[in-house]
Amino acid sequence: MTEVTIKLFAFLQDRLGPTVQIEVPTPVKVAVLFDKVSQLDPQLSATLANSRLAVNQEFVDSDEVSLTASDEIAIIPPVSGG
Amino acid sequence: MYYLRISDTPIDVNEMYQKLVDPQYGGIDMFVGTIRQWTGNVETTKIEYSAYQPMAEKQLEKIAAPIEAQGGRVVVAHRTGSLALTDIAVFVGVAAPHRAEAFKWCRFVIDTLKHEVPIWKKEYDTDKVRWGN
Repeated sequence: MTEVTIKLFAFLQDRLGPTVQIEVPTPVKVAVLFDKVSQLDPQLSATLANSRLAVNQEFVDSDEVSLTASDEIAIIPPVSGG
Repeated sequence: MYYLRISDTPIDVNEMYQKLVDPQYGGIDMFVGTIRQWTGNVETTKIEYSAYQPMAEKQLEKIAAPIEAQGGRVVVAHRTGSLALTDIAVFVGVAAPHRAEAFKWCRFVIDTLKHEVPIWKKEYDTDKVRWGN
């Protein structure tokens, strides 16, 4: 297990603050990581279901990702710029 | 070379337009997105924009680079912070040799921005506060 820090934005940040720390296996399935965040606040589940993971400021398109403590990890809820 | 900015600085349309002026271009298409009061029966009073700034800038570069590689120029400015009705939230301008590319690329930039760039709006309506989308 690895402890990672995850950046949060928008509604997720309103609920849980700018970052959360969770322990995840590595590699970890994106769905498992999101589920761990959802356990911190069940009201986030709908938003998380439509969110994407970003590692080092790049969207992750695969279902599974290897993470280290030094990676910049972020959950990107549905964007609404423009 | 493209100019891409995400900041709390108010957007000056003429300043952005000047960045697109160049003898090699014959068409400049610009889109200006502003804060709208009414969406159906919902009345908006203000919108706060926030961004994951370094990633948002990278995503904008990915949108702009292929257009520049085809000979266009891209200028994007997006606001963060609190915006009032009629304030400019986003400016997208594309200069191209001819109008067809200018229209096409400008639309591509704003449409792609809305899906791929981590910027969020928090909309304050008269009856509620909600995150966009």
